Amino acid sequence: MNTKKTLYALFLGICLSSLILWSSDDPTASPSAEPPTETKETPFDLMMQVLTHQRCVNCHPAGDRPRKGDDSHITRALGIPRGNDGHGLQSISCGTCHTTENNDYSGVPGAPDWALAPESMTWEGKTRVEIAEQMMDPQRNGGKSPQEIMKHLTEHELVLWAWEPGIDAEGLPREKPPVSKKDFITAVKEWIASGAIIPEA
Amino acid sequence: MKITFNINGEPRSIDTDGEAPLLWVIRDGLNLKGTKYGCGKAACGACTIHVDGMQVRSCSYPAKFAEGKEITTIEGLSQGDNLHPVQQAWIDEVVPQCGYCQPGFMMATAALLKEIPNPTDEDIDNNIINVCRCATYYRMRKAIHKAAALAKQNPSE
Amino acid sequence: MSKGKKQKKGIKRRMFLKRSGVGIGLMIGGVWLTRNPIRRTIIKTSETLVVPYAGPTSDPLLWLQITPDNNLILHSSKVEMGQGTFTGLAQIVADEMGLPIEKIKVVHAETKAGNLDPFGTGGSMSIASLWVPLREMAATLNLMLLNKAAEKLSVNPDTLRLEGGTITDGSQSLTYGQIVADVTEWDIPSTPPLKKRSEYTYLGKPVPRVDLKEKVMGAPIFGIDAEYPDMLYASVVRSRLIDAQMQNFDTTEAERMPGVIKIYQDEDFIGVIAETHIQAETARKKIKFDYNKNADWSLADIEEKITVGNGNKTIVQKEGPIVEDIDEDAEIIELAFRSSIGAHAQMEPNGAVANYQEGNLEIKVSTQVPQLTQSEVAKAMGMSKKEVNIIPTFLGGGFGRRLHTPNAIQAAKMSKAIGRPVKSFFDRQQEFQNDTFRPPTHHVMKAAVKDGEILGIEHQFASGDTLFNSAMDPGIERVVRADIGSVRGGTIIYDGMPRRATYYHVDLPFATSFWRSLGLLANAFAIESFIDELALKTKQSPVDLRLQYMRDDNPYIVRAKKVLKTCAQKAGYTDEVKDGRAMGIALTIDTGSPCAHVAEVSIVEGSIKIHKVTAVLDCGIAVNPDQVRAQVEGCVCMGISAALYEKMDLKENKLFPINYGSYDMALMRDTPKEIDVVLIEGIDKPGPVGEPPLGPIGAAISNALRRLTGERLTQMPLSAFIS
Repeated sequence: MNTKKTLYALFLGICLSSLILWSSDDPTASPSAEPPTETKETPFDLMMQVLTHQRCVNCHPAGDRPRKGDDSHITRALGIPRGNDGHGLQSISCGTCHTTENNDYSGVPGAPDWALAPESMTWEGKTRVEIAEQMMDPQRNGGKSPQEIMKHLTEHELVLWAWEPGIDAEGLPREKPPVSKKDFITAVKEWIASGAIIPEA
Repeated sequence: MKITFNINGEPRSIDTDGEAPLLWVIRDGLNLKGTKYGCGKAACGACTIHVDGMQVRSCSYPAKFAEGKEITTIEGLSQGDNLHPVQQAWIDEVVPQCGYCQPGFMMATAALLKEIPNPTDEDIDNNIINVCRCATYYRMRKAIHKAAALAKQNPSE
Repeated sequence: MSKGKKQKKGIKRRMFLKRSGVGIGLMIGGVWLTRNPIRRTIIKTSETLVVPYAGPTSDPLLWLQITPDNNLILHSSKVEMGQGTFTGLAQIVADEMGLPIEKIKVVHAETKAGNLDPFGTGGSMSIASLWVPLREMAATLNLMLLNKAAEKLSVNPDTLRLEGGTITDGSQSLTYGQIVADVTEWDIPSTPPLKKRSEYTYLGKPVPRVDLKEKVMGAPIFGIDAEYPDMLYASVVRSRLIDAQMQNFDTTEAERMPGVIKIYQDEDFIGVIAETHIQAETARKKIKFDYNKNADWSLADIEEKITVGNGNKTIVQKEGPIVEDIDEDAEIIELAFRSSIGAHAQMEPNGAVANYQEGNLEIKVSTQVPQLTQSEVAKAMGMSKKEVNIIPTFLGGGFGRRLHTPNAIQAAKMSKAIGRPVKSFFDRQQEFQNDTFRPPTHHVMKAAVKDGEILGIEHQFASGDTLFNSAMDPGIERVVRADIGSVRGGTIIYDGMPRRATYYHVDLPFATSFWRSLGLLANAFAIESFIDELALKTKQSPVDLRLQYMRDDNPYIVRAKKVLKTCAQKAGYTDEVKDGRAMGIALTIDTGSPCAHVAEVSIVEGSIKIHKVTAVLDCGIAVNPDQVRAQVEGCVCMGISAALYEKMDLKENKLFPINYGSYDMALMRDTPKEIDVVLIEGIDKPGPVGEPPLGPIGAAISNALRRLTGERLTQMPLSAFIS
C-alpha cells in the first residue's frame, strides 16, 4: 500500500471514529441541529484561555530555554538559557537578538523587557488551577500582591505583546490568544476584584 | 530619517529608513563590509556587532535604535595595526577557512571576554552560538582561550 | 643563447585536451560501452582517480606574473573557498622558484586571464591535480627568467644562478622585476627538470594561510562585498514550492514601493531593481503570484521513491554470486539504512554583481566553476565568451553549492536592462528553499555468515542526482546510468569473498547536486555500520574483522590497512564501554585517500555527546600539514553536524526548515573537546584532502552508540532516532 493510500485510510478512519465518539457523547444531537448555545464562560475561564496559550507559555517554559512559535518548539541551536535574571547569559542575552519591538524585516519578535519568566513561574505542563495557584502565591510570584498581579497581566507591555505578536520570518502573522485583549483585561480585573477565587478544576 | 552615531570611534550621520536593519546601513551605507549577512533573522551571528559594548545581531536591529549609540564593527576591533587580542589569537591559531563567519565570531568572542575574562569551555559553549559551516569550532575554542591569555598579558587592550 | 628548447609565445603551444564535465567525457564512446562491465570499470576508476588539471599549462605566464616591484602574482584558476588551496599553491611555487613566500600574492584568475580550468574547483582535487603542472610552470618560468637575464646582461646563462628573487653571476645581478621590465615577448623553453624534494623549504611546513590577515580583519573579499560605482540592488522572486510553476504575477504594489526603479521580467524570472538592498527585498516580497502544482509532495512520497528497487538499476560492483546464492547453510544478515535530505547551508548566500557596459560584461561572483559561469552567461546573453569576464571572489563556503550560478545570468540581464551595475543576492530563506540538496538515500546491506566467517557482502542503495544534471554531459548519464557521485564510497572495499554493489538512480522532484563528498557520507554510514554489526555478530573486534578481509595487495588497500591500524592504536580502541563512554571505528577510501575515525561517545541527559575523535588520513604529501589538519577537523565537525542533526523536511511541496537555527546544525557546544589528527604519507605526491575525512564519521559515531546502548541506529541524522 502506498503512502497516500495509507494516509487516506488513516484520514477516513479518523473521520469515522470521531463521528462515533461524537454521536456516543450526545445521542440526541443530530448534524442538522442548531449549534448549542455557549455556556457562559467565567472570567477565570477567559483569563486562563489566554495564559495557557502558547504566546504566554512559550516564555513560562519548563526547563530554562524559551519555546518558540505557534507549535512551541525548542530550537536546540538558538535556545539561550534563562540565566540569573531571565535575560540570558552574561554575553549572549535576549537583547543580542530581540529589541523592544517586533522586527518585520527579520521576523524576530520583540517587546520591552523581553525575557523569560523565573523558574518559579513555570506554566508549561501545568493545569490552569496549578498555574493560578502559583501565580497568586507570593512565595512563587516574586512577592506580588493580587493588585500587582493584576497590573502585570493588564499593563505590562511584554504581556500585552501577545495581541501584537507580529509576523514570523516567512512573513506570516503569529497566532494571537483566543480572547481579545479587551475581554482579557476585563476578565482579569473582574476575577481579581471578586477575590481571585480559583475553581477546583 | 537622519541617524547619528559613533562607529568605530568616528561620528557618522546617515539618511536611512529608520526601520531598515542596521546591518545594511553599515554594509552599504557606510561601506564597512566586514559585518556579514548570514540569515537575516538573528539566527547565525555573522552580523554580530557591538552596540554600547553589548553584542547585537545587526540584521534584526533597526537602524533607528543606533541613534546616539557607540557602534563597533570588526573594522574597529583593532586599534590601527595594533590587533585586538581576539584577532591576534585567531591568527596564531590559524582559525579561518572560508572566513565568512569569522568577523561575527570574533565580535561575539570580544563581547564574551569583556564579561568573562577567563571563560571555561562551558562558558564558551553557552555563550558562543554563532554558526560556522566550515566548522572551525575546534580551533575557535583554542583561540578563545588564547585570546583570554593574551588579553591578560596586555591589560590595556 | 639560452637553455632549453624554444617556443615563441603564441606560435607553438602544447596541445591540451578539452574535457567536458568531470573530465571523463573522453572515456565515453561507442555503443558497446553501455555494457555493465565497462560501466563498472568507469565507476571503479572514478573512485580513486585524481582528475588531472585540464587547463592550459604551456604558458607559465598565464599563471605566474612577475610584477615590476619584484613580486609574483599567482593567478589561480582554482578558487579559494576555505580549503587552503591558495596557501598550498603559493608554497609549491615559492619552493620551485626559490622565492620567499612573502613575495607571492595569490589571486583568483579572471576568465579573461586565459588559464581556464574546465573542471572547476571541487572533488578535493586542487592541490593533487596541480602538483606536477604548477611546478613545471614555475620551473619553466625560472628558466625563462634566467635566459632573459642572460640576454640582458650579455652573459652565458650557465654562469647565472637564482637567489630568492634575484638572478646573479656573482658580480652583477638583476631582480625578477628588472628582468621582466620592458619584455614583450618571451621564449618558452621545454620544461626543465624539477627540483628534488630535499631542495624544497616550504613543502610540508605549516605556513600560515596566505589569506589569514584579510579574513581576520574583515576585508571585503567575498562576492557579496563586491561593488561597482553607481550600482543598483536587485532581488529575484523564487519559488517556495517544489515541482510547481509560479504564475499570475501581480507587481502593482511592488512597483509603488519606495526606491523601486524597475521590475524586470522575462520568461525565466522576475526581479525588482531598487536603490538599496532592503528596498529591493521589501518590494520583491510585495509581488503577488500563485502556483500551478504538477503534483503533491510530502517527505513520505520522497522516501517511497528513494527505496531500493525503484529507479534505474546498475550493478556497480559484481564479484561472485549474490549473497543468497553463496552457501545455502549460511545465515543471511540484513540491515536497511536511510539518510536525510541535506542542505549546504554555506554562510555566504549565492548572488552576483554584474556590470554590463557597451557589449562587455563583467561579473564578480563566488563560483566554483568560473569557466562554466562564463559560458552559461555568454549563452544566456547572446554574447561571445570573450565579451564576458568572470571575476571570481573568495567564496563564503563552497561545499558544492556553487556549481550552478543562475544569479550571474540574472544579474547580467538586469544590468543590461537598466544600464547600470546590479548586485543581486538570495536571502537566506531563498537559499535554503532553492538549495541543490544532498539527495536522501536508502541502503539495504546483506551478508552471508557461516561459522563466524563472512562469505559475501552486498550493498544495494538508492539515491538521486549528484553529478547528473550538475556537471556531466547528458550523454554520460545515458551511458554510465549510475551517478558516479552518488556511488562514491558505495562499493565494498573488503575483499576475498563475493561482493556486490547495486545502485538505483531515482529522479527527484527537486534539485539535488554536489554536497561535500557526495555519496560518501551516506554510503559509508551504511557499509561501515553494517561491518561493525558483522563484527558483533561474529564476536570479533571490528578492527580485526576489517583487517581479515583486506587481503588484496592493491596499494589503496595496503594504505587503508595502515590507516586503520594506526587509528585503532592511537585512539586506544576498545570494544569495552568505560565510564559511560564507548568507542566506534570506521574506515573509508575516498578519491584514493584512506581515512579512519574512532569516535568516543556518551549520552548526556538524553543527548549524544562526542568527546573525542581520532582521525587518521593518508593523503600522501601534505603540502601544508596545518591546513590538512584544518580540513580534517572541519570534515569531522561538519560530519558530526550532518550525522547527528541535519535534515530537511517536506510538506505540501514546501521544503523546510529554511533558516539556520531551525535547520539544526552542530555548534561550538557539539564540537569534540579533542580531535587528534594523524597524517600518513603513503604516496610520494599530494592526494585529495578536502572530502575524504567526511567518510567515516557517521558510522564511527553510530558504532560507538551501538556499543553504548545495544541499539543499532540506521537513520541519519542519528539524534532524531536515539531512544
